[in-house]
This record gives sequence, structure tokens and C-alpha cells, in this order.
Amino acid sequence: MSAGVKLEVAVGGGLTLRNPVLTASGTFGYGLEFEPYLDLNRLGGVVVKGISPRPRAGNPPPRLVETPSGMLNAIGLQNVGVDRFLEEKLPALRERGVATVVNVYGQCEEDLLHVVEKLAPESGVAAVELNLSCPNVKEGGLELGRSPRAIESITRDARAITRQPLWVKLTPNVSSIAETALAAEAGGADAVSLINTLVGMVIDVERRRPVLHRGSGGLSGPAIRPVAIAMVHQVYRAVKIPIVGMGGIVNARDVVEFLLAGARAVQVGTANFNDPGVAMRIVGDLAAWCAAHGIADVNELVGAVKGNQA
Amino acid sequence: MPYNLTAAVERQEDLGAGYHLLTLAAPEIAREIRAGQFVMIGLTDIDQMLIRRPFSVALVSPGPDGGEPASIGLLYKVIGRGTTLFSRLQPGDRLALLGPLGRGFWLPDPALEAGGGDETELLLVAGGIGNAIFPLLLQELGPRAARTTLFFGGRGRADLTLLDWFEAHAGRVVTATEDGSHGQRGFVTAPLAAHLDADPGRRRLVMACGPHAMLRAVAELCLARGVPCQVAMEETMACGFGVCLGCVVEKREPESDFDRFVRVCTEGPVFDAREIVL
Ligand SMILES: Cc1cc2nc3c(=O)[nH]c(=O)nc-3n(C[C@H](O)[C@H](O)[C@H](O)COP(=O)(O)OP(=O)(O)OC[C@H]3O[C@@H](n4cnc5c(N)ncnc54)[C@H](O)[C@@H]3O)c2cc1C
Ligand SMILES: Cc1cc2nc3c(=O)[nH]c(=O)nc-3n(C[C@H](O)[C@H](O)[C@H](O)COP(=O)(O)O)c2cc1C
Ligand code: FES
Repeated sequence: MSAGVKLEVAVGGGLTLRNPVLTASGTFGYGLEFEPYLDLNRLGGVVVKGISPRPRAGNPPPRLVETPSGMLNAIGLQNVGVDRFLEEKLPALRERGVATVVNVYGQCEEDLLHVVEKLAPESGVAAVELNLSCPNVKEGGLELGRSPRAIESITRDARAITRQPLWVKLTPNVSSIAETALAAEAGGADAVSLINTLVGMVIDVERRRPVLHRGSGGLSGPAIRPVAIAMVHQVYRAVKIPIVGMGGIVNARDVVEFLLAGARAVQVGTANFNDPGVAMRIVGDLAAWCAAHGIADVNELVGAVKGNQA
Repeated sequence: MPYNLTAAVERQEDLGAGYHLLTLAAPEIAREIRAGQFVMIGLTDIDQMLIRRPFSVALVSPGPDGGEPASIGLLYKVIGRGTTLFSRLQPGDRLALLGPLGRGFWLPDPALEAGGGDETELLLVAGGIGNAIFPLLLQELGPRAARTTLFFGGRGRADLTLLDWFEAHAGRVVTATEDGSHGQRGFVTAPLAAHLDADPGRRRLVMACGPHAMLRAVAELCLARGVPCQVAMEETMACGFGVCLGCVVEKREPESDFDRFVRVCTEGPVFDAREIVL
């Protein structure tokens, strides 16, 4: 019954995804770990764990704590580094044919551009997603992603060294996300993705210490969904480039909510930990939802929220 | 390869003092799980439980017609929100289940065991709910279970759950309680050390599960005496299958700076005590 629904979405820079459901960076490994549980090719795409110029060990534990309807993490961007990613992970993903978005992380602008440059000649990179917003590393992304001027200049520099579609991932830890989105657009981004995690902290009151070794961490999960929806809605009215929305998606209903707010595609994050098969199920349920609601093309939903626009 | 399923609750037994034994119908997992491996369980409604919880599989049991293992038993202690919710489950309720996960215990290479006389002595050390990992090991050991010794510690007698079961299935059970209500008063490491020192030449393998402080003490005892020791570690987990990178512990001898951590859910939960910092 849902076979006739058109799910393809164009997300800028000439990239069309077979459906709007991707998986979020840091919650899906390098994709291959999920093969026992789902068919990668049924997904709109996968966004791999943030890649840095050199491998990173990450933070000491505890790195995680559950919070009401969410979780807080301070992983510290543990990853294999760009060289091993290109040698081991990307070829396997290329072989699968799944749209692979490479999330790029750097502790400074040169680091970040170094990774973009290494990726530039590679085939099988559907898009590059610049993580300017990770709140987890003391010296890292937060400052960069908070400054519209820095966002515009680094996006422009990245744009100059790669032809691959370029996404800028926005942090919610700013006073105006419309402004940072506009800066990414001005710098030449093909799309913006939002939101990254919100800064949070949990204190163990008996020990009078933060639960996480690092102190604060990034909040994700359903708890942040209303914040993310409001921000997508705001950004949709500010920019012309496509929006990839995320924050607390656990089912197809949530995907529809993001699309109505203005997202062209979405990423499923924390929910992958709960159920490694969830992303594929959401794809099927989204098609069924559209069919049941007389929606022939999922693009009809994008930005279609009605009523007060404040 | 782990199975991602939903499973029905068969039984929920209240063992007193906050301990429960939950039996789930999960034939695929029951057949494949090895001692020391674990499962992630969660409520089927993600809005009620976003992050699943890790549990050792304590026991496997055959279905009503006997034969192949068909159910898994989880022995758990109620300590917070998740375990409280699990303790309310009734027969017929369904749970989300992922497993078998992780690396379990491993036995000495049989090629090195020259006949019964030279057999490595297996010493199991459990602290409190850490005993949950051992029934399955004893089940797997078959006749050899009768030649093991379990050192079993807890705060008091109420923490020594399934004691009768262990007395029936292990060769010998040596208990120690902090309040002296059963066995020797004090920590379980005292009788363990006495045992190791009584016959220092004997080939042995210690397998331990319990609170972090106990594991550290057991590992120190063993390392100081050159006795091989496997420890079952716990860290907070979000996924259980290696992707969140939340559950790490530190390696004792990293090969490089970026190689400092290993994942408990994938490289463990059972580690050689020499591999990691305790
Ligand atoms: C591989 C593995 C196997 C396990 N096997 C068993 C088992 O067989 N039986 C059993 O009873 N428990 C087992 N545990 C521990 C069990 O997962 C936790 O007790 C459970 O997740 C607590 O959930 P909760 O929601 O009730 O507690 P929460 O509300 O999450 O926490 C309550 C309190 O318990 C602490 N806590 C939470 N998780 C853990 C943990 N993993 N270790 C220590 N303290 C924790 C918290 O810091 C908090 O203070 C195992 C853990 C691991 C990693
Ligand atoms: C454990 C964990 C690790 C993450 N790592 C990254 C990362 O490496 N790079 C990045 O851009 N975002 C990272 N994120 C953020 C997610 O991609 C996503 O933006 C955020 O979690 C919100 O979505 P969710 O609520 O569906 O999880 C991480 C999130 C979690 C929970
Ligand atoms: S629990 Fe997620 S990596 Fe171990």
C-alpha cells in the first residue's frame, strides 16, 4: 500500500537520497556494525562517527549517563582518524552503495580543512558534514560553531577545497541559530544539519561530583526534540538551502514532525542504541504513514506546518 | 551474531532482599550464549526506557519438552529506575532483547592440561550480585563444575543469593560476609588469599565478578602470585554492541596514545586482569 509513495529527497549540491532517513554521527559507528540488524541500503544514508586528522582516544569513563527521556555523553570524539577511515571503512561502505556522509571534526580550522582535503578526491562520499559544534572537547568545536563569522569563513575555505556536497552541522548552544545557519549559507554550504547535542550536566549529590568524568556532556534523545523542532522551524524561515533535522527521533511520527517544521531529511541518533534496527523500521513506517495520509510525495510535507509562525 | 528480538517473560521470582530471577523465552539466545556474555534488555516502549540495561545470563533452561536450551534466566538486583520497572514484569509481558553480546570467560587450553591430575584448578570469586555470571559457567563446565571452588562474598547472608544452588553445583563454596552472618567475617579476598597461599605451586585460574573494589583486590592478589585471573567488568552502557563508545575501561599497556581505552561491551566484559587498569 505504501509502495507508491515517493520518498526521494534532494538535499542540495546535486545529492538525492533514496529516502529522508539517515543515521546521526556518533550513534551509528561506521555503519558496518549495524549490518546484522538492518539493510544499510534501505536507509537514506549513514553519517559516520566524526573523523579527525589523527586517531583520538577520547575521554576517560564515565562517559555516559541516562537523563529523563535522554542521555548525556562525553565520549570525546574517539575515532580511528582519517587515514584508517580511508583505508578500512570507506571502501567497505562504498562497496555497499549506501549514501555515506562523512562527519569531520577538528580541534582547529587547519585540522578540519586537512580532513576535508583528504576526503576531496575520494569517491563514495555523498557529502561532508562539518562538525563545528561538538561540546565535548575542551579546546574544541564549541567556540567555532558559536561564531557566525568563523562559520562563514571556514565554510568558504572548505568550499574552496572540495566539490563534494558540504553540510554544516549547527550547535543549539547559541543565542540565534538562524544567524549561524545564514552564515553557513553565505559561506557556500549546500545544506545545514541541526541540532547537535545541548550542553548538560548531572551531579551525583552523594559524592558531590559530576557523574561524567569530564564534568559536562552533550544531551541527546527525545528530551531535546522540541528544542530541535523549534530550531529547524526557525532556520527554515531564514535560509534557502535544505535542512537536515535531528534531535530525539524515535519513530516515523517524529520524522514527519521534523519535515513539517522544514527539514528535507532527518537523522536518527540516540534511538539506534536502543534498537539497532530502528532506522530501517522508521523508513518503512514513514512510507506507510504517507500512504495512510494520502501523501504521494514526502516532499509535500516539508515546511508544511500551519498556523502561528512565532 | 547477536539477535535483536522481543521475548516473553516466563517467570518472575522474588528471591527477597531486592533480588529477582527473571526467566525469558529466548531459544536463539539460550542456545548460543556462553558464560560471561550478556544481553541488553529494555521495555518495548522506548518512551518508557530510552537506554536498555545490560545483564549477564545467569542460567539457561530447556523448554517444556526438555532438550535444547529455550529460556534464559537473569538474576538481578533492584537498584534504580530500570530494575524497578523490570521487577514489575509479569509472565506474558514482552521485553526487547539483544544478545548474546561480548566476550565471555575462556578456559585454559585443553592441550596444556595433561590428564586429570594436572588439571588447572578453577576458582570462581563472586561479590554480591556478581554471582549472576557463574551459574551458566558451572552449567557449561559439566562434570568439571564439581572440581571448582566458589568464593562468595556479600554484605550479609541476604546477599548470598542462590547459595543452595551453588552448593549443589560447585565443588565447594566458601563464603564471607561483612557482618559475619554467614561464613567468615570480612571480605572474600581473605579466604581466597589463604587458599592460594596454602598450595602455591598448583596451576590455577581465577574468574571474578563483583564490585569494582573487589575485582581490584582479587586482581592484585592474583598478579602478585602469578595466578592467571579473568575479571568481568561493568561500565555504563548505552548500546551494548560497540558503537556508542560509552563503556570503556583503560588498557594497562596501550600501544599508542589513541589506543588507551577498550570497550567493555565488545572487547569484554571479561578481561584478563593483566590487560586493563582496575
Ligand atoms: C556486562 C554487564 C552485566 C551485568 N549483569 C548484571 C546482572 O547479571 N545482574 C544485575 O543485577 N546487574 C547486572 N549489571 C548491572 C546492571 O546493568 C545495572 O544494575 C542496571 O543497569 C541498573 O539499572 P537501573 O535503571 O535500575 O539503575 P539506574 O537508575 O540506572 O542507576 C541506579 C544506581 O545504580 C548505579 N548503576 C547503574 N548502572 C550500573 C552499573 N552498570 N554498574 C554499577 N552501578 C550501576 C547508578 O550509578 C546509580 O547510582 C550488569 C552490568 C554490566 C555492564
Ligand atoms: C554518543 C554520541 C556521540 C556523538 N558523536 C557525534 C560526533 O562525533 N559528531 C557529531 O557531529 N555529532 C555527534 N553526536 C550528536 C548526534 O549526531 C546528534 O546530533 C544528537 O545526538 C541529536 O540527535 P539524537 O537526539 O537523535 O541523538 C553524538 C551523539 C551521541 C549521543
Ligand atoms: S555500550 Fe556502547 S560501545 Fe559499549
